[in-house]
Amino acid sequence: MLEQNILFKKLDRTLLIAITIIILLGLVIIYSATKPSGLLPVAEALSTGDDPFAYVKKQMFFVLFGIGMMIMMLYIQYEDLLKHVKFLYVLNLIILGAVLIVGDSTLGAQRWIAIGPNQIFRFQPSEFSKLLIIICFAAYLNSRSNMLNRLRDLLPCFVYIGVPALLILMQPDLGTALVFLAIMFGMLFIAGARPWLLSGIIAGGIGTASLWIWAHFWLAANRGFELWIPIKDYQLKRLVIFLDPWQEPFDAGYNVIQSQIAIGQGGFWGRGLFNGSQTYGDFLPFQKNDFIFSVVGEELGFIGAFLLLVLFFVVIYRGILIAINARDRFGSLLATGIVSMLVVHVLINVGMNIGIMPVTGIPLPMFSYGGSSMITNLTALGLLLNINMRRKKILF
Amino acid sequence: MERNLIEKRMHIYLYIVVILFLILVSRLAYMQLLQNDKFSTLARENRMRLITITAPRGEVFDRNGIKLVGNQPVYTVSLVNLGRKDMGGVVQRLAGILGTDAQEIQQKIDQQERLYEPVKLATRVSEEIVIKIEEQRLELPGVEIDIEPLREYPNGNMLAHVMGYVREINPEQLAENKDNGYKSGDRFGQSGLEYTYEQYLRGRDGGRQVEVDSKARPVRDLGVLGPVPGNNLMLTIDHKVQKAAEEALARSSQEALRQGYGEARAGAAVAIDVRSGAVLAMASYPGFDPVKLSGVLSQKEYNEVFNSPWNPMLNRALLSYAPGSTFKMIVAMAGLETATITPQTIISDPGYFIWDNHRYNDWKLSGHGQVDMVKAIKVSCNTYFYQLGLKVGIDNIAKIAREFGLGEKTGIELPGEYSGVVPGPPSKFQLRKPYLSSEGLRKVEEIEQRYEDLMNKATGEEEKKQLLDKKAKDLLAVNWELAWHDYDTIITSIGQGDSSYTILGMANYVAAIANGGILYKPYLVQKVIDPSGNVIEENQPVVVRHTSVSPETLAVVREGMREVVLPPNGTAHGFFTGFPPVAAKTGTGEVFGHDNHAQFVAFAPYAQPEIAVAVVMEFAGHGGAMAGPVAESMLAAYFGLTDLSTTYINTPE
Repeated sequence: MLEQNILFKKLDRTLLIAITIIILLGLVIIYSATKPSGLLPVAEALSTGDDPFAYVKKQMFFVLFGIGMMIMMLYIQYEDLLKHVKFLYVLNLIILGAVLIVGDSTLGAQRWIAIGPNQIFRFQPSEFSKLLIIICFAAYLNSRSNMLNRLRDLLPCFVYIGVPALLILMQPDLGTALVFLAIMFGMLFIAGARPWLLSGIIAGGIGTASLWIWAHFWLAANRGFELWIPIKDYQLKRLVIFLDPWQEPFDAGYNVIQSQIAIGQGGFWGRGLFNGSQTYGDFLPFQKNDFIFSVVGEELGFIGAFLLLVLFFVVIYRGILIAINARDRFGSLLATGIVSMLVVHVLINVGMNIGIMPVTGIPLPMFSYGGSSMITNLTALGLLLNINMRRKKILF
Repeated sequence: MERNLIEKRMHIYLYIVVILFLILVSRLAYMQLLQNDKFSTLARENRMRLITITAPRGEVFDRNGIKLVGNQPVYTVSLVNLGRKDMGGVVQRLAGILGTDAQEIQQKIDQQERLYEPVKLATRVSEEIVIKIEEQRLELPGVEIDIEPLREYPNGNMLAHVMGYVREINPEQLAENKDNGYKSGDRFGQSGLEYTYEQYLRGRDGGRQVEVDSKARPVRDLGVLGPVPGNNLMLTIDHKVQKAAEEALARSSQEALRQGYGEARAGAAVAIDVRSGAVLAMASYPGFDPVKLSGVLSQKEYNEVFNSPWNPMLNRALLSYAPGSTFKMIVAMAGLETATITPQTIISDPGYFIWDNHRYNDWKLSGHGQVDMVKAIKVSCNTYFYQLGLKVGIDNIAKIAREFGLGEKTGIELPGEYSGVVPGPPSKFQLRKPYLSSEGLRKVEEIEQRYEDLMNKATGEEEKKQLLDKKAKDLLAVNWELAWHDYDTIITSIGQGDSSYTILGMANYVAAIANGGILYKPYLVQKVIDPSGNVIEENQPVVVRHTSVSPETLAVVREGMREVVLPPNGTAHGFFTGFPPVAAKTGTGEVFGHDNHAQFVAFAPYAQPEIAVAVVMEFAGHGGAMAGPVAESMLAAYFGLTDLSTTYINTPE
C-alpha cells in the first residue's frame, strides 16, 4: 500500500490535466454537434421530444468506463503483460476474425460487433486491437534488440503486424490498417532499426501505392483496362478525392468540401460556440465523430483549433518523455506504441478535416464520439501513466 | 548504450512530431486566416436562400366596379436540387404523389443551372396532395410547398378573349424581357389585355431571406421584403352587356346548328358607347378556359384549344368578314354627299338590274317596286344600290368607307387586330396577283417595272393619268381579273366582293353614324389604378376624325336604319318590341362554297343614340335571323329589359 502511495505521487499531472481538458471540451463539442436544430414553424421540428443531451450522456458513460479501465491499468505491473503476450495476440486475431463473421456493417464495412440483450452493446474490435497489437509488438521487439539492422530482420516483424492488419483490411477498414503500419514503423524506429532502411521502406511503400493507384486510374481512363487493386472502389475514391474534391462536390467530395467550409469560415475567433452554421445546419457530415475537429474549427476558430492541437501536443510530448524515461526497454517500446497511436490518429483525423489527408474513418482520440475509441485511448493512457509511475528517475 | 539509443531516437521522433504539427497548424492558419473570405462565401451560399414572394397581379373590374378577374391563393410545389445522391428517389416519389412523369420532373431539374434555386413543378395543387407531401416530408428533402396568388375568374370563361390568359413566361419572352426583371417561372400575360398591360398588371415580387439547413428546411428568418401588387384596371366593359353577348352567341350558334347550318359554330359581337368609343362588350365564340391555359396542358387539351377547326383562341371581333348589306349605308352616304342622288329620288325595282349584258338579281326576285333611299335601306334593296354604286363610283364609296374607319385598324389595346379591306383597283390587284400563273406573274412584273420607270420620268399630272390608264389596259391584257370592272363596283355596293371589315370596325362605323359623324377610337381600359387606389392613368375619348358627311345625310341614313326594325317590311321587324327606339341593319356576307355569314348592326335609342352594336355569326345564313337575336339580347341587357330573344324570327335578309 505504501509503495502504491509513493507510486501515485509520481503520476504525471500535466498529462492528466491535458487529457481532462481535451475530454471536457470534447463533451461540449459533441453537444454542439448533436443538439437538434431549431426549425422555423414552417417545417415541423425534427425529432421533438428527443433528449438533446443523449449523445453527451452516452459519451460521459464511455469516459467513466474508460477512467475505470485507466485506473485498473495503474494497478498492474506492466512487465506482467509480457507473460500474456501469446494469449493477447491470439485473442486479438479471434476478435478481429469474429468481426468478419458476425459483424454489423456500417457504411458498407463490417466494423461492429453487437452483444448483450437487444444487442445494445456495440463495439469496434479494431479500436481495442490497436492497443493489443502495441503490447504484443512491444514484447516482440523487446526480445530483439540489435537484431533489426537488415531487411531480413524486419520481415518477421511485418508478418507479425501484417496478419492482424490484413484481417482489418478485410472488413474493410483501410484507415485502421494504415494506423497499424504507422505504429509499427514508430516502434521499429525507437527499437533501433536502421533509419535509412525504414525511410526507404516507407518511401518505397508510398511510392508503389501511389504509382499503383495512378496506373489504375490512368489505365481505366485511357485504355479501358481494369488494373486490379486490393481495395474497393469506394475506398479508392475516398482515398484520392481530397486532392480535388470539387470534381464531385455532391458525392465523394461532399464531406471534404463541407468540412473545409466549416473550418475556413471559422476565421480567427470562430463563429461562436453552438453558432456554426455548417454544424447546426447539418451541412457538416459525421460531425460528432470523424469531422468533429471541423466543429471546433468553425465555432472556436483558429484560436480554438490551435489550442486543441497544443493540448494534443502536450499529451504526445509527455508520452515521449515517458518513453525516454521508462524503466526498461519494454516500457519505452510500449510508451512509443501508445504515443505513435495518438500521433497517427491526430495527424490523419485533423489532416482529413483540413483537406490534406484522405478521408478514412479515423476518430480524433479522446474527442470524437464513440465508446470503443474512448475506452481504448483511456486504457492506453492508463498504461502510459503506469510506465511513468514505475520510471527510474524523477521526471520534471 | 541501449538507453542512449532510445533517447537519441526519441529526440528525432519529437522533431518529426513537431514538424507534423507545424504542418497542421500552417494549413489551419492558411484556411482560417487567409482563405476565410472564400469559405465564408461558400458557407453563405450553403445556408442563405431568397424565397420569392410572388406579387399578386392587378385585378380587373368592369365599368361599374364588378370584378372580372381576380386572384386566389393556390398551392404550388417546387423542388430544390440539393445535390443529394437520393435525388432520383425523391423525384420518383414526388412524381407518384403529383401523378406526373418522373422523367419530366428530372428534365426540369436538370435544366435548372443554378443549384439551390427551386424549380416550380406544379401549380394549383389540391389540398390532398399538399397533405400527402407534408406526411412524407422527411423522405422528400428539397420539396417545397408555397402559396402563390394566381388568376381567378369569378365569371368563368367570360371576357376570355379580351383579357387573354396568363402563363409561365416562355424562353423567348424571357429573353426579350430580361431587362424588365423577369426570371424563369414568372407569370406573363400571353394574350389580350393581360399581354398589353403586362407591365401595369404584374406588380413587384417580394422576397424572404431565410437561413436553411442541409435539407433546405428554414432555420431562421433573416428579413422580409413585402411584394407590391400590380395595378388594377377598370375597363369600359359593362358586365351585363358582355354576359348577354356571350350567352346569346352560344344560343344563336346552337339554334343555327339546329336549323341545319352545319358550320355555324363561331361568332362575335361588339357594343360601343357612341358618345366616347368606350367598348361596352366584346365577345367571341367559341371561348376558352384561361385557367386551363395557365397550367400544364395534356396533348388532348392542347389539341382541343390550338388545333380545333373552330379555333377558340381567336378573338373574332378583331377578324374581318364580308359586311354584306350592312355596308349599304356607306354607299347611300356616298351618293348623297356627291349629290349623285337625293333622298327623294325614286327608282323602280323589277327584281334585277342588267349591266353589260349581265343580270344582277335582287334578293327578292319579284322586286320591291318604287324605292327611295329610306325604303332602299329598310328593305335592303339590292337593285337600288347596284345602280347607285355604279353612278357614285368606287373611289367615292371607298372614300366614305375610309372616313368611317373601315379598312384600317382602330388601334384598340389588343394584339391581333385585322385592318380589313376597302375594295378598289389597288386592293383587287394585290389580292388577285398571288393567284396568277407563273407566266402571268412574269408579265405583270415586267409591266410594273416598265411603268415605274415611265412614271418617274413623267412630269405633268395629265401625263401621269394617261400612263396609269395605259398601264391598266396592259394589265387587263394579261388577266381580266387584274383590273377593276363595273362588275366589281356593283357587288361592292351591296357589301360583297373583296370587302371585309372587323366586327369592332363595323360597330365603330355604326357608332359614327349614330353620333353625328364623329369617329372615336374604341378603347377598353378606362383607368389604371395603383394598389393604394390612386388613378395613375385615365383614358379619355379620342376623336380620330370628324367625317365630312353632312348632318342631313346622316339623318337620312339613320331614318332608313330606324325603318329596318319597323313593320311591315323592315328586314328586322319583329325584334326590339318594347325597347327604346332601335335602328339597325341586317347583312348577309357571302362566302364561296359555304353558308353565308350573318351580320347585324344596330344603334339605340334612335333619337339620342348611346350604344352601337355589331354582330357576326359565321356560316349562319341571314343576318336578321341569326345575328339579330344577339344584338337584341345585348341591347336588352344594356337597357335593363327582359331578354326576349329566345324566339327566333325568320327574316329574309
